[in-house]
Amino acid sequence: MYEEPYRWVEAVGNRRQYLDAQFAQGSPVVGVACEQGILLMTMSKGTPKLYEIYDRLAFGGMGHPADLEKLRFTLLEMAHVEGFNRSASDVTGSRLVKYGIAPVVKQAFEEVFKAPFIVKIMLAELSQKVGKDGFLTITYDGVFEEKSRYAVLAASASVEQRMVEYLRPQSCVSLKDAVDLAIHTWAVGDRAQRHTDETGGDPKDAKGSSDQPVTDSQTLMTHVRQCMQEKSIECALLDRYVLGTSKYRILGSGELETLLPKDLSSALT
Amino acid sequence: MRMQGDFYQLLKDRGYVLGMPGQAGVGQALTTATTILAFKYRDGVLVAGDRRATAGNMVMYDRTDKVLEIDRHSVMAIAGVPATAYEMVRILEHSFKYYRRTQLQELSFEGKLRALSKLLKENVPAALAGTGAVVPIFAGYDAEQEAAKIYFYDILGAEFEGVEYAVSGSGSPTIRGILHYVNTWGEQPLSAMSEEQAAVQALRLLTCAAEFDSATGGVNREAGLYPVVKSITSDGVTAMADPHLRSLFESNVSKGL
Repeated sequence: MYEEPYRWVEAVGNRRQYLDAQFAQGSPVVGVACEQGILLMTMSKGTPKLYEIYDRLAFGGMGHPADLEKLRFTLLEMAHVEGFNRSASDVTGSRLVKYGIAPVVKQAFEEVFKAPFIVKIMLAELSQKVGKDGFLTITYDGVFEEKSRYAVLAASASVEQRMVEYLRPQSCVSLKDAVDLAIHTWAVGDRAQRHTDETGGDPKDAKGSSDQPVTDSQTLMTHVRQCMQEKSIECALLDRYVLGTSKYRILGSGELETLLPKDLSSALT
Repeated sequence: MRMQGDFYQLLKDRGYVLGMPGQAGVGQALTTATTILAFKYRDGVLVAGDRRATAGNMVMYDRTDKVLEIDRHSVMAIAGVPATAYEMVRILEHSFKYYRRTQLQELSFEGKLRALSKLLKENVPAALAGTGAVVPIFAGYDAEQEAAKIYFYDILGAEFEGVEYAVSGSGSPTIRGILHYVNTWGEQPLSAMSEEQAAVQALRLLTCAAEFDSATGGVNREAGLYPVVKSITSDGVTAMADPHLRSLFESNVSKGL
C-alpha cells in the first residue's frame, strides 16, 4: 500500500505524530559551555541520560532507553576504532554524527515497515581552545544541527525555542554559573513541556499571569525542588583541566552541593 | 555470545591482526635492549626506564619513553621490540577506555592484567620468530584492594607478581642483585622509602645498568636527558619532571661518579 507516494507521505506524517508524543514525558537536556569546559545537565529517574563517548565527547539523550543504548554503542564503536586506527584528534562529533548515526536514524525513520529510533541526541565536543567548544543535536528523523555556546533537547521544537530564548541573553563564565544557568533552563523547558502535555496545546500558553513565560528564579527553583522528589539532578562535565586524555567526569553529589543554588543544595541531602 | 566491552575483539572482527610472524632467523637488527624497573615504595609504586633504543650496535634514539601511562592508575614499562610494544600499549589504552565507557564501570585490576596476558599470548608466533618479542612490566594501583601492584611477564605471556620489585631488559641482571641487596640489607627496605628516596634509588640503579650494559642509556647531563620516572599512588600516575630529576641526580647520584 505504501508504493503510492501520498500513502508513504501520510505514513511518515503519522510516524512523526507518534514519535512527537513519545517525548512528552521526557526530561529535557541542557548543554552549556563555560570557561572550565562543557556542562551537560538533565534530571533523571534511575537510568542515567548522560554518557562519555570519547576523550572529548559527551552524550546526552531523550527517548527510549534501548534505542539510546543502541546508538550510544554505535558511537562508542566508531569513535574507538577511529581513535585507534587514526588518532584521537580524528574522532570528531561532526564526523560521528554526519557520516555515522544520522544516515542510520534517517533510514530507520523513513522505512515505515520498521521501527524508528525514539531518540533525540546531543553530542558535546570540547575543543583544545576556549571558545571553540561545540554541540551537535540530532532528532529522530536524522536531522542534525551544529551549535556553539549552548544546545538543548526537549519534547518539541517550540519548547526548545523557549529554552533557547531563556539561554541566549545570559552570560556564563564559571562552572557555578553554568550549573545555575543549566538548571534554570531545564526548569523553563520542563514547565513548558508539562503545560503542553496537560493542555495539549502550544507551550506559548505556558505563561504566568503576564504575557511572558515564567522565568523568575524563585518559581523555576520551586519547580526543580518539586521534581527532585522523584528525580535526581544529573550533571556531567567535559573538564578542560582534568589530568589525562579523558576529559569527561560526572559531578558527584559532594561537588554538586557546592555548585547548586543554595535552596537546591539543601534539597540534595 | 561475545564478551561485552571487549575492544580487542571488536578490532579483530574488523580484520585487525596483532604482529605478523616473520621468518625465524632472518637476522635483521632489531631494537630490543633496555632497562626498566618497578618497585613498591611507601606511597605506591615507582616505575622507571632508560631512554635508549638500539638496533644491534647502533643507537637508534636516545629520547624514547618506555614507561607508558595506560590509564590514570596503570603504567606499562616496555622492553623488547618497540613496534609491537607500542602497539600493545595502544590496544590496552583503548581497551580500558572502551570497557569503562561501554560498561559504565572501571575494568578490574585483574581484568587489566588478563588483557595484557592475552595480547602477549596472541603475539607468541611473532615472539618466537624473533620479530616481535615483548617482555613488559605492568604496574598500577588496585582501587578495590587499595594496594599498589607490580607484575612482570615472559615473552609467552606468563604472568608473575613482583611482590617487592620487578626488572626487565638487557640491563636488568645488573640491577636485580642490587635491588635484592638494598631491600634486604639496606638502611631501610624499599617499601619504607619516601617518593624522593625511591626516585634517587631508581636513578642510581639505571646509572649502574648503563655502566655495564651498552644498550641502556644513562643520564646525559649535557643534553639534559634523564630517565623516565613515574609514580603511581591512589591519586593516579605522576611523571617526575626533568628539573626535579636533575636536582636529585646532582645532589644524590653524580657525586659518587
